[in-house]
Amino acid sequence: MIEKKIFEGNKAELVVSGVDSSFMNSIRRTLLSEIPKLAIDEVIFYENSSPLTNEILAHRLSMLPIPTEMDLFVPKDQCVCEGAGCPNCTLIYTLSKEGPCTVYSGDLEAQRSEFSIKDKDIPITELAEGQRLILEAMATLGTANKHASYQAAFAVGYKNYPVISIDYSKCDLGKTCIDACPPNIIKKEGNRIVIEDIEKCTLCKECENRCEFGAIKVTYDPEKFIFRFETDGALEPEEVLKKAIEMLDKKLESFSSQMFTVEEEKQ
Amino acid sequence: MIIPVRCFTCGRVIASDYEKFVERVKKGEDPKEVLDALGIERYCCRRMILSHVDLIDEISAYE
Repeated sequence: MIEKKIFEGNKAELVVSGVDSSFMNSIRRTLLSEIPKLAIDEVIFYENSSPLTNEILAHRLSMLPIPTEMDLFVPKDQCVCEGAGCPNCTLIYTLSKEGPCTVYSGDLEAQRSEFSIKDKDIPITELAEGQRLILEAMATLGTANKHASYQAAFAVGYKNYPVISIDYSKCDLGKTCIDACPPNIIKKEGNRIVIEDIEKCTLCKECENRCEFGAIKVTYDPEKFIFRFETDGALEPEEVLKKAIEMLDKKLESFSSQMFTVEEEKQ
Repeated sequence: MIIPVRCFTCGRVIASDYEKFVERVKKGEDPKEVLDALGIERYCCRRMILSHVDLIDEISAYE
């Protein structure tokens, strides 16, 4: 059950219950490596007298977040053009600059204006007086198990939902736990110790270790998780999660269909 | 050399925040508060910006 879901800007947070960690991990790993995203993977340099080499520039360009619409493109190796590059699988950017200036990601001109890079302030290189950079870059669709530049979701992680129990008969309100808590979520309210935002608890057990009377206990719910991830602006977090579930579904479907078509090996 | 486009560890884009960070710290703001204001939360991304030495100006004379 999804108990809470927040999609805010590039960040996503979900509270999921009634599942185990292997389930959460399969979603995590799919998010990390199976989501198709656009990234620059081929650059033609017409002129480069900048201080950085072609290879470094190509790598920097490949790491830029390219706004992606997954349904509009097909991976290059599955395209009808058979890898030659056509508008179905390749998006072309051009750049032409002469120094003195700093070349930013916003200087890349997209072939189709809806794909111009949203984050315009990423420095690519600096050009001194008289130095020039003229290039053409091709972005294609790929997944992160080929190269990190195709990675769509970042800092993907889950943790068990914390459960903090306080035995008020043993508690002397000495504030040791309040001072010990690194995320600072334990507060005193009247003559009771209360936990303010339990989702911020890191399960470090510092409060439990410091309390002389054993009044506070930190455990976790093994079937409830807080799941968080981010995107780089190329895709929306909600879209990424939907795609991950779709990819996982496809894999399981092909597994279950082979269950009945592949013959059993006799022992 | 030049600020890396992404954080080495998590992959968050950090290059676009570097110039803003340097500018604001030069004006006298606390680096901690600038990083928080820019939304750079994790320590992997924070070290990318804090520990960077920008040498591109010095080598840009050479092609």
